[in-house]
Amino acid sequence: MVSKKVTVVNAQGFHMRPAGVFAGEMGKFQSDVTIMFGGRPVNAKSLMNIIAACIKCGAEIEIVCDGPDEQAALDKAVEMVESGLGE
Amino acid sequence: MVKGIGASAGIGLGTALLVTEQPVTYTPHTPEDPAAEQQRFDAAFEAFCTRTQSMAENMDQRSDTAQGDILRGHILMLQDPFMQQQIADSIRDGSCAEAALEAACDMFITVFSASDDELTRQRAADVRDIKTRMLKILLHIEDMDLSQLPVDTVLIADELTPSMTAGMQAEHVSGIVTQKGGKTSHSAILARALGIPAVLGVSDALQQAANGDLIGVDGGSGFVYFRPDGQQQVKLTQQRQVYLQRLHRLEQYRGKTTVTADGRQIELVANIGNPKDLEQVLANDAEGIGLFRTEFLFMDRDSMPSQEEQFSAYKQVAAAMRGKPVIIRTLDVGGDKDIPYLGMQREENPFLGYRAVRYCLQHPQDYEAQLRALVRAAAYGDIRIMVPLVTGLQELRQVKEMVRRLEQDCARQDIPHGEHVPVGVMIETPAACMIADLLAKEADFFSIGTNDLTQYILAADRGNPQVEYLYSVYHPAVLRAIQHVIACAKQQNIPVGMCGESAADLALAPLLISFGLDEYSVTPRSVLEVRANLAQWTQGEADAVAAHAMALDTETAVQAYLQDCVKA
Repeated sequence: MVSKKVTVVNAQGFHMRPAGVFAGEMGKFQSDVTIMFGGRPVNAKSLMNIIAACIKCGAEIEIVCDGPDEQAALDKAVEMVESGLGE
Repeated sequence: MVKGIGASAGIGLGTALLVTEQPVTYTPHTPEDPAAEQQRFDAAFEAFCTRTQSMAENMDQRSDTAQGDILRGHILMLQDPFMQQQIADSIRDGSCAEAALEAACDMFITVFSASDDELTRQRAADVRDIKTRMLKILLHIEDMDLSQLPVDTVLIADELTPSMTAGMQAEHVSGIVTQKGGKTSHSAILARALGIPAVLGVSDALQQAANGDLIGVDGGSGFVYFRPDGQQQVKLTQQRQVYLQRLHRLEQYRGKTTVTADGRQIELVANIGNPKDLEQVLANDAEGIGLFRTEFLFMDRDSMPSQEEQFSAYKQVAAAMRGKPVIIRTLDVGGDKDIPYLGMQREENPFLGYRAVRYCLQHPQDYEAQLRALVRAAAYGDIRIMVPLVTGLQELRQVKEMVRRLEQDCARQDIPHGEHVPVGVMIETPAACMIADLLAKEADFFSIGTNDLTQYILAADRGNPQVEYLYSVYHPAVLRAIQHVIACAKQQNIPVGMCGESAADLALAPLLISFGLDEYSVTPRSVLEVRANLAQWTQGEADAVAAHAMALDTETAVQAYLQDCVKA
């Protein structure tokens, strides 16, 4: 299992479009990908759960990946969040 | 005539079309073959994706990519592996496809609706729409076709959903009236995006109107006229004409740079009081933010907002404007703005009292929290700090010193921050006008706040009805002050803007052009109108009007003359 803390930098936070792109990319990995936010785990492959978590710009989150391709999944996730989720 | 919520300004007049729907009902049952039921669901899901994709493309062609994105989002939402798993589990356990879908959707509708966050609550409407569209496919119910509408149709509906409006022939829709929905509902956003006048929340609209009725819609005031009489018809027809002409004229200025008739470029930006206003700023094509009032962060609460809280709001605005200038005014408490937990005393003369930068400099800890949040947020956009109610150089120097020190602090602690964040003066006191030459040497920019400046120069309380008649920006004293301030800024080569209501005053424009004002900051909905107006004037014409106006000796004469000079 690998994990890393990152800050959400895009203005909209994890809303519809950025969250959709993110969940879609995470869905390509075999590993489980979880966003830890405010002490709660959020399934990072599920757009609906990400929206429900309401993760705003400036939020500190931790991404946790567990599975055969965990490092690749984590690298991709961190890169996406840090680059502003394509916004 | 009935009053509802005016959600999209403008006048619509046309023939009613009642948009009613077949009820989407089914009887839950337990299918004999769950595997076959799953296949039925999968087929409906595939049809949903195909239809939604074509609706989205339809929106793109209408250059409404925002709506297209929402629809593409619907596909993503229903594709969600978690949703799909929930539905598959229910079907395997004996639910029919309809009930399985409804249960999964309802769960998220409940969660989203309960959110504190407006944007998340809006997503509940998306899930409701997805559910209805999927149920219709499963139950073979066809939508009402709005793709072929007669010219000048007024749509009357309970609520407009993206699926109803996706194929809609928008250019034939003159107005929209709905029974449900508020200013942020899908119907409202759609109506504003398409520029269709709309009144929402008219609870019995579907009973009041019949197909073929003449209906007038005033989306500004929120009035709906069911079967207007002869006199009302004439009036509405005229208003509709004026509205259409204005719309057509202003639309030509969207996406254009702001220039005078002889090509001098001007910065046209917007005033906001809350990050929520960003939608209006972007929709109206403003070129930045000229005044972001920060009081909202401090009001309606029991204690000071933390530095983090402030940082996140400033950053949100800076990032959303993508490198365009964002002028943020530091806390302007006092005067007519009371914030109870600050424990400020009642004063005889609050407007001449303990307020704005005076209060802030006496509370350095609180002020530093705000300035530090601003310095940090400047790493994410072009933030400029504006200091209100300055009367002397000392105040400007103190704030600048604090800002530089906070930048160094951030650098030492390796915290992302802006370098040399510009610090400017809001010119709104007679003292600041008189020493504008001195301030200009040390300020990074000026922004003239005409609302307070006018009342201070004329010693007339703008809230007192007995002296309100004195309060006028056209008074030669106020105009001379504005001219002097702009000249001082020019001499030191610093940008000078105006963020009071006068910046949007069409009659004042020739003077401001002539004086050389660089930046006009107006309410978002005035942006296109001001851009259209500035484009009418050449420097020579503006100079001639200014020379004449500045030679007149009374407020009345100046105002009458300038009103006469307004270009239609």
